[in-house]
Parts: sequence; C-alpha cells; structure tokens
Amino acid sequence: MAERRSVAIVGAGITGLSCAAALRHDAAVTVVDRIPVAGGVHGWKPAETRELVAVCGATLALGETALRWDGRELLVIGQHGAWRQPADALVIASGARPLGRPELGVVGSRPAGVVAATVACHLAENGLAVGLNPVIMGGGDWAMAASRRLLAAGARAITLVSPGPLLRPAPDDRRVAVREGERVAEVIGRGRICAVQLASGTRIECDALVLAHGLVPLRNVDGAVWDGHRTVYAQPTGDPATVHIAKAAGSAAAAAVRSLLDLEDGR
Amino acid sequence: MRDVVVIGGGVVGSAVAWRLSTTTARVTLVEAAHDLCEGASKGNTGIATSGGDCHPGTLEAELVTRSSAGWEALCARLDTPFQRIGTLAVATTIEEQARLPELHRQARSCGVAADLVDGEAARRMEPLLTVEARAALHFPDDGIIDSIRLTLGYAELAARNGVEVLRSSPVTAIERDGDRIVAVIAGGRRITTCAVVNAAGLETDTISRLAGGESFRTWPRQGQYWLLDREMGGRFRKVVGGVPTAVTRGVYCVPTTNRSLLLGPTAVDRDDRGDRAVDEATLDEVFAAARRLVPLVRREHAIKTFAANRPASDPVYRVARDARIENLVHAAGIRSTGVSSSPAVAELVRDLLEQIGLPVDRERPDAILALQPLPRLLDHLEPERLVALDPRYGQVICTCEQVTAAEIAAAYRMHVPASSLEGVRKRTRATGGRCQGAYCLAGVSFLHTLHTGCTPERIAVGEPGATLGVAGADG
Repeated sequence: MAERRSVAIVGAGITGLSCAAALRHDAAVTVVDRIPVAGGVHGWKPAETRELVAVCGATLALGETALRWDGRELLVIGQHGAWRQPADALVIASGARPLGRPELGVVGSRPAGVVAATVACHLAENGLAVGLNPVIMGGGDWAMAASRRLLAAGARAITLVSPGPLLRPAPDDRRVAVREGERVAEVIGRGRICAVQLASGTRIECDALVLAHGLVPLRNVDGAVWDGHRTVYAQPTGDPATVHIAKAAGSAAAAAVRSLLDLEDGR
Repeated sequence: MRDVVVIGGGVVGSAVAWRLSTTTARVTLVEAAHDLCEGASKGNTGIATSGGDCHPGTLEAELVTRSSAGWEALCARLDTPFQRIGTLAVATTIEEQARLPELHRQARSCGVAADLVDGEAARRMEPLLTVEARAALHFPDDGIIDSIRLTLGYAELAARNGVEVLRSSPVTAIERDGDRIVAVIAGGRRITTCAVVNAAGLETDTISRLAGGESFRTWPRQGQYWLLDREMGGRFRKVVGGVPTAVTRGVYCVPTTNRSLLLGPTAVDRDDRGDRAVDEATLDEVFAAARRLVPLVRREHAIKTFAANRPASDPVYRVARDARIENLVHAAGIRSTGVSSSPAVAELVRDLLEQIGLPVDRERPDAILALQPLPRLLDHLEPERLVALDPRYGQVICTCEQVTAAEIAAAYRMHVPASSLEGVRKRTRATGGRCQGAYCLAGVSFLHTLHTGCTPERIAVGEPGATLGVAGADG
C-alpha cells in the first residue's frame, strides 16, 4: 500500500467538513479556514456542524488564511506565522459571494452607499444601517437576510428589486415593497447615492443600494483561482443554499479527490 | 511664511513637493479633496511610457523621455511598484500596419527605443495576442507603475522632509500685491508665500484666474475602464495597445503591478468635472476594442468598472512661469503623461522657481532620500518572516488582495495617513480586489474605527459626509 495521501481543504463550512469526513479513511486531511470557528455561513452552533467536526477526523487549522497553492504545497498564514502544508490534492470549499457591480451590469457613478449584502448584514447586526431607505437588489437568501437585518437596524422603507421571481418569501412588513422581474441598471448620486434607475426606466430614490443577487464562487488562493493544478472545486452556488446541497457538494468533491489520487496511484 | 505653496495633490503637485522637500525651501502642499491622489492620478492606465507616442520636439516628449530611465531607482526610493515590461502597439489591419513606420520614425526621433516587429514576433513576445496581429511596434522601455503609490510616495517623502500637507483645503482666493502673489487662502487658512505652483489638474484654470494669471481653458476628458481579475493580468507579459491615431492613443490592455488587468481608456470630452459615471455603451466599446487585441479577455473576469477625468486644456502641457504674475509657476494641462513625466516636471519646476529667486538651489544635508519599504504579504518571497516583524501580518483582512492588519495599521501611521475607506484602499489595496469588499469591508471598517477613534456612524467612505452607514436609525 502506498504512503498515506494528504489533502488540504480550504473552507470549514458544511461543504468542506463533509468532504473531510468522506475522505477520513483515504487521506490525512487538513481543513483551513480564515474564521476561527467551523461552520462557515451555516454557523458553528447547529448540530450538523458539530457532528461533522466530531466525525471528520481532520486537523482543523482555524483562524488561518490559505494564500498560495503550487500543486504540492499550500501556503498558509496565521497569528503564529506562515506555514506550508504539503498536500496531494487541494479542495476549494470557500463558499460563494453575491455578484458585484460589473457582474450585475450596474453602471452609473460610484458613490458611497453601494455595498454588498454581506457587508450590509454584518453592519446591521452591529446596529449600523447602510441606509434608511435602501434598495436591495436580489430575491434569495442574501436579499431576505439583508431586508430583515436592515429593518431591525431601523430602515424605514425598503424596495426589493428582484431580477427573477422571489426565491424566498419577502418579510411580511408594510415597510418592504417588492418589484419582481426588474433589474437595477444605474446608480445615481455623487458623494452618497441618491437614486437608482431600473432597466425599465423607473427611478427609485434611495440612500443605499445593497447588492444581494446571485452567487459566484469565492476563490482567493493564488494558483487555485481558476484552474489550479490538482485542485477540486466544491462551491455550490444554489440559492437558497441548504445543508443538503452543501453536504452533497462535499461528497462529490471527495469522490473527485479520490479519483484524482487513484488515477495517480495506478499510473 | 512659506517659500512655496504647491496647489494640487495629484501626481504632479506631489512630485513637485517631493523635489522641493530636500531643499532648504519651506513648502506647503494644498489639496481640495479629502485625500491626495483623487483625480486623474488614481484613474489612469498605470503605464509609465518611455515617450514612444509623444510628438517630437514638444516639452512633453522631452520631459517624458528625461523621466523614463530613472524609474527603477526612483520607485525603489518611493516604495512604489514598477516593472519595465514593454508595450506592443499592435496593428490588426492593413491601414494600421501602414502607419507603423511613421510612428517608428517618430519614436526614434524622440530618442525612444522602438522596434518594428511582424505579427509572429509580436505573438512570441505576448502569446495572448490575437492571431489577427499583422505587425507591432515594441517599446521595450515602457513600464507599468502603481500611480497611486507613486503619488502617495512622493507626498509621504515630502511630508517626512517637513513639507506641510493640507487636505480638504480648496483654494478660495489668492491675494496679490501688484504682479506678485502674497498669500493663498485655502481651507479657510491664509498662507503667506513667496511663490505658488499651480498643479491643480482640472482646476488649473480656476487657480490661474484666482491668481490673475494667464487664461487657461480646461475641461474633463473622460476615460472609462474595466478592471479584471488578478488571475488574468498575471498571464500578461506586455502592455498591449492598438495603433495610436492623431486623436487618441486608444484602448490598452494593461497588466497592473499587482497583476490585475486594466482595459481602457476611452477619450470623450465632457463639461461636467464631477461626472465619473460609466455607461453601458462606452464600456461595451472598451471591451470590444480590448478583445480585438486579446480575444481571451472575458467579462466574467471583470471586478470593477470606473471612469476618470484627465485634464484636457488649451494650452496643452504648460510647465512655465506665468506671463503676468511673476511668482506663479504652472505645471498644467498635463493630460495623460502626468505620471510618466512627473520626475522631470518636478525638476523643471524647481529650475523655474530658482530663476525667480526662491531658495530651492541648496539641498538640505539631513534630507531623507528614501522611504522605508513596507513589507506586504502579497507575493512576499519569505512570508515566514513577516509575523515575527508584526503579529498582525498573520491577520489577513482582505483575502482577495491578501492585505493584512499590519499593512492597514501602517496606512494610518503615515505622515499623510488614510482618513477614509478609500484612503485605505489607495494605500493598501484592501477592498480593491475581486470581491470589491464584499468580504472585507466590515473588517476594514472596524480597523478604521480602531485607528482613527471615529464612531461607526462616522466612517467615511471618501469625501466627508459620504459615510458608510447612516446615522439616526435609532432615533
């Protein structure tokens, strides 16, 4: 039998942990995450996260950031210094982010008050509203999370502009207006945003635009951003995201890693 | 009492401040915006041209070529990224190809290194180039430079040498005694001075009018750009451009010093100096032009679009003493070679100030000549060493550009420190990467409150008043 193989996984969310768990008999697995807790967007408290942490059998390197991959070694940095993790394969399971302005085709000016839903949610949880009359572009998980949190942070009127049908129900609140099948085309305002123009030509006055539409994989390890050598990507972008989808992506990635390693063994 | 007030904290004004800072002159640099480098100096291609596309015999050609050879040494002193990778001006049609020999002669008569190569040779130099390339002019001495770090580097070294840097200080009046300026009113402060340098970019005309000097006409020439992922820029070996025409240099594909890829600019004359909006038709045009040169570029790799206004003017490129006001020097109308000619412009301004009797001829023995380079995590050759220098290097705040808490802390420790989230981006690149802050803006905002002591409601994105959050949510 060949020497035990090693696998590095970037991202300790449900996907990364599921992948680690599925590989526990095949390889020595190290899971790296820049956040000092496991669970990713799902959080560390739910039972699914804690069970996976308990059974995955992997070394968890949490609070450590993966920087570069050269096909053999993953460079990681954390508060105790930089270190290199040799690995026969790399799994990128670092989740997804909402689309940015060029990806959404939103033109116009670049004033303050145009923020990603991730940021709007984080600030709102800390009591800071990015706007009191925001337009939120999107109709899925991030759009609803941003709506709820901005309402809690004091928003007075929210317009949800959803390019497609709503993927999740909008908050049942008289302060939330929904425009389905519409798209923000242009940002208007200098200094701070004052309005958006929809593709239909409608102008909506607002004091913030929250970008919450769509999901794209978030990849930040140099050498593994597009087509990394010996790299498997496990980044579901379904909206709404579910634990089931994440677990399936983790298992699929584990299978891809196994076939990558088996192919090499049989060479 | 100052010897010189420099008006304008773009690349030209900052370069002048830097050049004067090692002399015995007492200098103040004033900038209207909340930070330095807020105009064309932060919105440009980042090409340090060697002068191949300048018109022979012009002052611009002379100052660009005079600046070119010194970039490696200067950038080392200013802790500014620079790489001399060369430009290919690519002809894809017979008409364009026919213009290359003339452009070649023009470049050679400016004393600029240039080689005429066939399409195959051009593709060997840059394998990403279109198969339609028929021929190209290669300018091996062109470089790519981080124009923001250059501008801030000039100003930082100037400030360390005692130049007073005043931001958020628009000039509202200039007092005269006959044909001499005696004071500048900026940001509500009256600064008495022996001389003034007008390096106000788009506001050159305003400043000259306030001073009672020559009449200028300036207007914004807007350029729109795409910024593409670092993964794309990292695959380029050369700056790739088209064949310049009499009207414009056209759209370039420019790998940046941190491996992003810039596409642009367009050149459209406008009236509104504050308009930096992008529009779909123009962005489409930029992308189409870029794809004619490099078919591989794709929209899904775009991380940002933006517009910037370069100062078009009549007269163009005027670095000279004012014809009426004896102690006013213009460094004005420098539309698109501000970065590329800034060292020589600064030297010429110094000469002109010396001619009018300013004490700029003696170098101070104690002057600081170089900035201490700040280690940066991205592409660092020995990252293992960094955490020992400062444990905050282990804390990666912006993962797209791999910017650490140590680098962000340094941005607030500068003599001309960050005072806004945009100021942090310009000094560190944090929030400037592929997710455009979606994952790090909150962390950067927290560090901003930590380093400046400001409350979360008052975190400035850019200009004061343009805050990240809105106050009054609880009220």
